Amino acid sequence: MTAATTQPTFHDQIIAILPKLRIQALALTRNRAAAEDLVQDAVCNALSAQQSFIPGTNFPAWMHRILRNRFISNLRKRRDTTDIDDVPSSVFATEAPHEDRLALKELARAMTRLPSDQREALVMVVVHGMSYEALAESTGCAVGTAKSRVFRARRQLESWLLGETKETTKTARQAASLLARRVAEGEAAENPRNYA
Amino acid sequence: MPKVKDPAATPASPVPGKKSRKTEAAFDLWLQKGLHDIYDSVAREPIPDELLKLIEEDRKR
Repeated sequence: MTAATTQPTFHDQIIAILPKLRIQALALTRNRAAAEDLVQDAVCNALSAQQSFIPGTNFPAWMHRILRNRFISNLRKRRDTTDIDDVPSSVFATEAPHEDRLALKELARAMTRLPSDQREALVMVVVHGMSYEALAESTGCAVGTAKSRVFRARRQLESWLLGETKETTKTARQAASLLARRVAEGEAAENPRNYA
Repeated sequence: MPKVKDPAATPASPVPGKKSRKTEAAFDLWLQKGLHDIYDSVAREPIPDELLKLIEEDRKR
């Protein structure tokens, strides 16, 4: 005998997705305060439009699209408030060694320089673990476009952080390179077959 | 007499400027860890009461 399962309500689903919306909003706006406002606006829009949501369809994709559309609509209304120093405080609060912190700070800064659609795509795939198909549905683009955005974001960051460009300081480049090697060594030790 | 390759003379890393797949894979692993370090704490922050209140009030309607 199986226990009766209750479907989460519309409102339960909104509450459950809030942490992910917050990350998407920060990826789009690059600013903590603007991200909080964007999440609130998106929730208001979703509550107003709840009759248009078809139960049983992809709620996360519906909600991520609302937030994205709201971001685009806000951009049209006012100029983008860029604050490239608005790096999450966790970057500085970490007890990681100095070189790790430096590389993380450099990564956070490099992220702010990516185009917003690439930054959003990278975060949703890497941090949320979203598939390319789900990303495409959530951002209203073709699967190929979604893949391309993530690929270009990765390679652009690699070029900035490991490449011989003037934008990155030598120390940060060395730190990022060292960390990449360290992560690979750790991974190789855990999964030797992948690296044989 | 054939030359014996000195392992110590082998460069530890690939030729500079030539990115190997291993480098890309290592960078991607580091990037994944870095992005989690940056964004996970944002997701863990408590939801503002004001926002929860807004949702709960709508639920009661």
